[in-house]
Parts: sequence; C-alpha cells; structure tokens
Amino acid sequence: MIRYYLLVMGIFLAFGLIPKSHRLMNALAAGNGMLHLVMSCVALSMLDLPERLGETLYLDHLNLYVELITSLGFTAAAFYARGYTDSLMEAGELDPRNLKTFYLAFNLLLVTATVALFSDNLALFWIFAELTTVCAAMLVAILSARENIDAALKYVFIVSGAMLFAFLGLIFLFTLSEQALGKGTLNWTELAVHASEFSPALLLASFTFMFIGFGAKAGVAPFHTWLPDAYARAPSVSAILSGLMQNLGIYGIIRMYSLLRESNVAPQASSILLAAGVFSIALASFSMFQQRNLKRLIAFSSVEHMGLLLIGIGIGTPLALFWALFYMLVHVLVKETLLFSAGILHRQYRSNMRENMWDVFKLQPRAAWGLILGSIAIVGMPPFPLFPAKFFILLESAAVSPYLTLALLLMLILAAASFANFLLKAFSKVTVEEEKDRHTIRTHVEAGRAELKTAAEKADHDEIRLPNKYVVRSGMRVPAIFMLALAFALGVYFPDSLRDLLDAIILELGYV
Amino acid sequence: MIDPTFLEGIIKILFVFVLISAGLIISTRNLSSVLTAYTIQSFLLAAVSSLLYMIDGKNQLLLLAVLTLASKVILIPYFISRIEQKIKIGRDLHFAYLEPTPSLLLSIGLIILSYTFLSGVFKGLPLSKLFFFGAVIGLSLTLMGMLVVFSRKRVITKALGYLSMENGVLMFGLFVTELPFIIEVLIIIDLIILVILTTIMAVGMDSSIEEYRQKFRKLQIWTGGESQ
Repeated sequence: MIRYYLLVMGIFLAFGLIPKSHRLMNALAAGNGMLHLVMSCVALSMLDLPERLGETLYLDHLNLYVELITSLGFTAAAFYARGYTDSLMEAGELDPRNLKTFYLAFNLLLVTATVALFSDNLALFWIFAELTTVCAAMLVAILSARENIDAALKYVFIVSGAMLFAFLGLIFLFTLSEQALGKGTLNWTELAVHASEFSPALLLASFTFMFIGFGAKAGVAPFHTWLPDAYARAPSVSAILSGLMQNLGIYGIIRMYSLLRESNVAPQASSILLAAGVFSIALASFSMFQQRNLKRLIAFSSVEHMGLLLIGIGIGTPLALFWALFYMLVHVLVKETLLFSAGILHRQYRSNMRENMWDVFKLQPRAAWGLILGSIAIVGMPPFPLFPAKFFILLESAAVSPYLTLALLLMLILAAASFANFLLKAFSKVTVEEEKDRHTIRTHVEAGRAELKTAAEKADHDEIRLPNKYVVRSGMRVPAIFMLALAFALGVYFPDSLRDLLDAIILELGYV
Repeated sequence: MIDPTFLEGIIKILFVFVLISAGLIISTRNLSSVLTAYTIQSFLLAAVSSLLYMIDGKNQLLLLAVLTLASKVILIPYFISRIEQKIKIGRDLHFAYLEPTPSLLLSIGLIILSYTFLSGVFKGLPLSKLFFFGAVIGLSLTLMGMLVVFSRKRVITKALGYLSMENGVLMFGLFVTELPFIIEVLIIIDLIILVILTTIMAVGMDSSIEEYRQKFRKLQIWTGGESQ
C-alpha cells in the first residue's frame, strides 16, 4: 500500500514541477496539505481502526491523530507561505529560481512524514524520519545565505547523527525479537504483542538508543542545539515545518515507551524520560530569560514544551498521556500563531532582535496582538487549552514526587516571566507623537536614532528600515487568526469526538 | 575450504586497521587524507563482510560487501573528491573543542566504554567472542565518528565523520544480527542523499570560490540570526 501511495505522490510531485506561476505552486502545496487533512479525517471516521492495509501500511488512532496535526499545520503554513515567500523574493533574499525547490521540499516533507507515521515497520519509520530531516534542512537552507546553510547543516548533523544511535537501538530490538520469536521482526504490532517476552536489559538499552535519536528529532535537551538556530535563522515557514517534525520524534518515543510499559524496566525508562524532560524545561526556561531574539525565545519555548510532553509520557498514567496527546495538538496551534506573527514582525523590522522593534502597535498592530495572545496561550493561561493540559500533567506529576511538581511549576513561571519580559520591553518603545513640542521630538528622535545605531552596530546591521510600514498580504494573517481561534475554541469547549479519539489512542497503546 | 579460525584471525587483524583508520579521520589535517582514510575504512568493512561470508556462507553478506564496495569505496569518495577539488581548500586546520591528541585519548576511553557497556548488555546473548568484539568495534567506531562530527569545523570533514559513524552502525549490525537486506539498501540510499545534500551545502560554506564569497557579502543584510 505504501508503494502505491508513494507512486501517486511521486506523480503528484512531478506535476508540481511543471507550473511556472507562484500562485499555482502554492495552490498545489495547500491542496496537498488539505488532501492529507481530509484523508486522515475520512480514515478516522470511516475505517474500523486499527486497520492493516497491505504489508506495511498500518493505521491506528495514534498515527492518524499525529497525521491530522501535521497536515493541519502544513495547510496553514502553505497559505502563509505565499505572501511570505513573495516578500522574501521582493527583498532579494530568496532567489526566484529556488522557489520550485522550496515547494518541492515542502510537499516532499509532508509525504515523507506521512509514510513515516503510517509504516508499521520500524526500519521504514526510521528511514522516512531521516528523509524528513533532509527535506526540512533543505527548507532551512533555502535562502542560501551563510547563516541558513550553517543552521541547516547543524540540523542535519545533529539529528541524523543521533538517528544513527536510534538505528543501533533498532538492531538491538531486532536481535531481541529474533531471540524471542525465532525470526527477527521490526513491526510495531508484532513487537507490541511479544514485548513482555523480551530480555529487559537489552530492551532498556534499545530504548535508550532510540530515545537519543527520536529525542534529537523532537528537540529535547541536550540534543536541542539545532533548534534555536533553525528557528532563528530560517524563514518562518521553514521554522514552522521543522517544528512540526518534532512531533514525529515524540510519536516514536510514545510508541517505544508503550512497548516497554509491560516489562519490569518500565520504571527506569520512565526516569530517563522524566530526567530528560526536567533538564529540557530547566535549560529552556533559563535560556529564555533575558532572551533578546524573538525567534530564539519561541524556539526555547518549544524545547520547554517538548520537555513537558516527555514528562507527560514518562509519568505513565493514562490521564497524563491523555493530556500529553492533547498538548501536542494545542502546542502546534499556538506555536504556529506565534511564528506566523513573528514572521510578520521580521518582515517589518528585518530583525528578530528586541532592540530593533519600535512602534509595534502603530506599524503591525495585528501581529503584535497575535504575539501577545499567543504568548498568553503558550504560557498556559486560561481560557486557552494549554491551561488544562499543563494543569493535569503537573497534577499527575505529583504522584511521582511533589518536589518534581514544585520545580516544574517554578520553571514554568520563569518561562512565562520571560515572555512577559520580552513583550513588555519590545512593545513599549514608542517614538513621540508630532503634536508635542518640536524640540522634544527632535531630541527623542535623535536619541532614538543614536540608540538604534549602536544597536545596529552591535547587531552588525547594514540598514534598518523603520518608518516604512510593511504591507502584510491578507493570506498571511488568515492562518494565524485561524489557528488562534481554533486554540481558543478548544479551550472553551472540549469536543466529545476529540475525547473519544484520545481515549481510543490510550486504549490501543495498552494503557488502562 | 579455508580454515575458519584462520579467517577469524584475519578479521581480528582487520579490526585493528579499522580502528587505526578511525583514528586517522579524527586526527589528520589534510582533507584528501581524511577521505583516503574513510575509503580504506569502507574497504575494510567490505573485506570483513566477505570474510564472514566465507565462514558463514550466507549470500546476503556477499551482497552487502558488493554494495559497500560500490557505494562507499567508489561512488561516495569519488563525489566528495570532486567537491574537494571544487572548493579549493586542502586542509582542515581547525578543531572546535578538542585538539587531535586529547581526542585520540578520548577515543581510547570510548572503546573501553563500549566494551564495558556491551559486555553488560550482551550477558544473556549467545554471541561468540569474535562477534562480540565486532560489536564493540562497531559501537566504538560510531562514537569516534561522533567525535569527528563534534570536533571538526569544516563541513566536508564533518560529513566524513558522519559517514564513519554509519560504517560503525553497519559493522555493529553485521556482527550482532542479520538485518533484512532491503534495510541495508535503504540505509545506503539515505546515506547517499544525505552526502549529496551536505556536500552541496559545503560548497556554499567552505568554499574559497570568489563567486560565493560575493554572494554571502550581498546577503549580509539579512540578520535574522544570532547577533548578540
């Protein structure tokens, strides 16, 4: 079945190479995202899950749910990409000849991620997860400026290098299954049935190696170092897509952990996850504090959230997993809102640095509000849905140790404070209105210019365009508003169908 | 039929040479020597695989040897040497965290580490001594490759470090278990894509070509990155 899918998508991508107009290429990318979105919705409602189609294609609630999140993110990014790449080309940063490569990598990323998710065979999952890294790196390097290429190479080397360790884990797993069953296998479904017969020490070794690989893919500390660079140096769209790929890593970790849950090394595996989670959150929240680069702030916030997800998985109770899964969805919605808005601000100021942002409310009021509301959502304030997700994960973590809860809470407060600190300092700088005394204007403006100049020198800028208002194309605002509205709606009303879906995932993974 | 113990002896000698080649990749400053060391390492891997075929008689091992020879001894080194000529940089003088001598000492530590780790993990498995040593060498090769990726600055050397890591993984797989052949093929395809991508990017990064320098200068306006 996967062969047919790849064949169809290959033809589709080949067609995608024909059109010359940007509009058509973009429409194809958006259509591709929507196609996957609709297909996964249809599969969720029509099929009797879990379902096996052919030798390697395996559909269950978990991978369809992750696919749903991924394709939703892709569709929104495709709508945003049009205006964004247009303005990149206008500014001369993106070579129009690279546009085709951009959309090719864009579509290919979704296809490879889909195959990775739906393949029952772990080795196929590994290989396609590797290919997503390659595609995402191409998207990061698309501007072919030194910073981009540097970030892309860092991404490839760290993630692929770590994924080789995951492959060592696969070899362990294969040996284990050979020992227990007589014939080696790497199918999730078969492994899940026989996991309790495997030797615990080897299973733990295998889990540890796999965790290194998938953890790097997810951007978990200490393998997170690619993430801030990829976020800050790549164009916003690329950052969004590499962010979406983090869920793929988390998906692998959830699967692996559910294999181990039955054996008697589950506590050790849990403590690995918890330790990595706490370390990620601590590192991220301290790096966020006093962070002056907006996209780096958002990137470290991603690391923090991946840490929290790991803790949700590592606690090992059905309730914690339920909220961790919900968290994956909401995190994508809110993170995309933030990155969409940050991208607009970057087009306006040509910089992500706090000190270069002036008159934000006058120049880009909607992007500013997007950032403010997105920040409120991401730090977990009600009525946004990250509040219940964080609340219940923290509540469950008290069962492991109350000190863990306390430490997490303190670090989350620090992260929230960092967002507040950034927004207050970046958005409160206003140049003086004209109706005031002329003298003061001049001194203010001059002082402002002088400050700006030093900032510019510090930041190694050649030019800063302040007064010209960047005209945001309408397609760029819609996805941000849509994602934020969806997040808000999920915070106010929790649909029954979503609850049933998450319950079904937990049941299928063998919890309860 | 050749005596298996004799073949095992040869494999053990080859292990030593594999480790030496890994050490060369870590410490050599000349880019083309690093490439030669990698080519020799891949060749040794192919040789080990075909010797194992002579002992075991499994066709898959022979196929793997041929595949390794074609891709890693001929195709990839050829491609990289073309790129090396193109970027006109012969030497990689800079080390990021570790100078060669400490990193060689560290890699001895890594070998001991992988020995103790694997002897703990493989306690229950019926592996013969030779296969256990193969697994140890494979794991330490992976770790040493990682050391190269961390400590070298030029992208080309980093890519060779990554390739050497992958050689280690393949060696580990060779001795621990028998993976389905299709997986090995897929890994090599993945490897080739990755090498092509990174080396093309390396032309942008490492290049001393004037055209690229100019392009970068032009794009310096773009300051999205860290500029603190």
